[in-house]
Amino acid sequence: MNPAAWSRKLPQDWYPGTIPSNVSVCETAYLGTSYSFHEYRSGASIGLRLGRGASLDKTVLDVGSNGQVSVGEFAFVSSARIICDSEVEIGDYALIGWNVVIMDSYRVPIDVVMRRHELERSSLHPQRRLEDAGEPRPVQIGRNVWIGFEACILPGVIIGEGAVVGARSVVTENVPPFTVIAGNPARIVRVLDR
Amino acid sequence: MNETAQHKSLCWTPDQLPPNVRLGANSVITGHYLPGDHPFKRFRSRLDPAIVIGEGCTLNGLYFNMGEEARIEIGNYCHFTEIFLLCELELRVGNYVVIGWHTTVTDADFHPVSPDDRIVDAIACSPLANGQDRRPFARKPVIIEDNVWVGANATILKGVRIGEGAFVEPGSVVVRDVPPRTRVLGNPAQVIGDV
Repeated sequence: MNPAAWSRKLPQDWYPGTIPSNVSVCETAYLGTSYSFHEYRSGASIGLRLGRGASLDKTVLDVGSNGQVSVGEFAFVSSARIICDSEVEIGDYALIGWNVVIMDSYRVPIDVVMRRHELERSSLHPQRRLEDAGEPRPVQIGRNVWIGFEACILPGVIIGEGAVVGARSVVTENVPPFTVIAGNPARIVRVLDR
Repeated sequence: MNETAQHKSLCWTPDQLPPNVRLGANSVITGHYLPGDHPFKRFRSRLDPAIVIGEGCTLNGLYFNMGEEARIEIGNYCHFTEIFLLCELELRVGNYVVIGWHTTVTDADFHPVSPDDRIVDAIACSPLANGQDRRPFARKPVIIEDNVWVGANATILKGVRIGEGAFVEPGSVVVRDVPPRTRVLGNPAQVIGDV
């Protein structure tokens, strides 16, 4: 991405950064700080979309060159970490707790020889990043989903509408709509009334 | 934004490191971006060397929380992202080890298990300690072998050896040895397959 495109500054931002041009923030949305973009390098036409009334504060968007993150209307994302090389979609009204990790990629090749090669390469890169080396699988967080703090959502997972994910759960499989899941690995512990 | 400049400005150069820390060629240690934190805030080791780091390592925003007799060895081409290393005895990390964001590795309990001893220890840790000695607590070395990958939000507890090429999934709590080339997940972490 063209560095000149990092032009917009946020008012009263404690971090000395700017907002990339391929970030689409609805004027009614809240974006707390440009710190969110210190690991952001998406070259997609829209790398982050923040919908009407959505909030995103200290969340770090570790978004690779082809990554696209979308945050739906009235969704609330506190200080999460989103690791995205393909697509991460957070639905309308979703609530995401602090230190939640949502990842669509392991960021490293599984093969040991290739991984060693990638680590040697990244040590010579000025930013020293592990770059686009995994095989990403998109993640979808449905509408009205609530994710408790420090949970991990692993690559390829789809969380159905209205589900609740307990704090510190590790979600490895798809979650049916309107269920409560908890544990590491996470299991269904309750079905919600609708 | 000139990202490179920003990243570099947070790097710890060899002359800023404590004198008993050895940093290999082309290895970098960066501080946290968030104010008030730095990697050696709780570094108390008196050993020399206390920390030996190999070549080509990228150690972003990590904490060395180390006691007076603690020693950490890190091999070549490791890549850590904002992790917490709590060490009272010994932590050995091999080559090509990747550890993900917000993971904690500890080789000690930091307090005794016996309730009576813990009261004595709590007083000894308090502002009213008056020079009393702390009570002993369990500590066992942690060994992370070559080519290990550890995901984000994981926890690795004392006495654990993680075998060569193992994959520790995000959020795992590792309380037992991990066999080489296996994939572990869960709390407590259990083998779920091979790499």
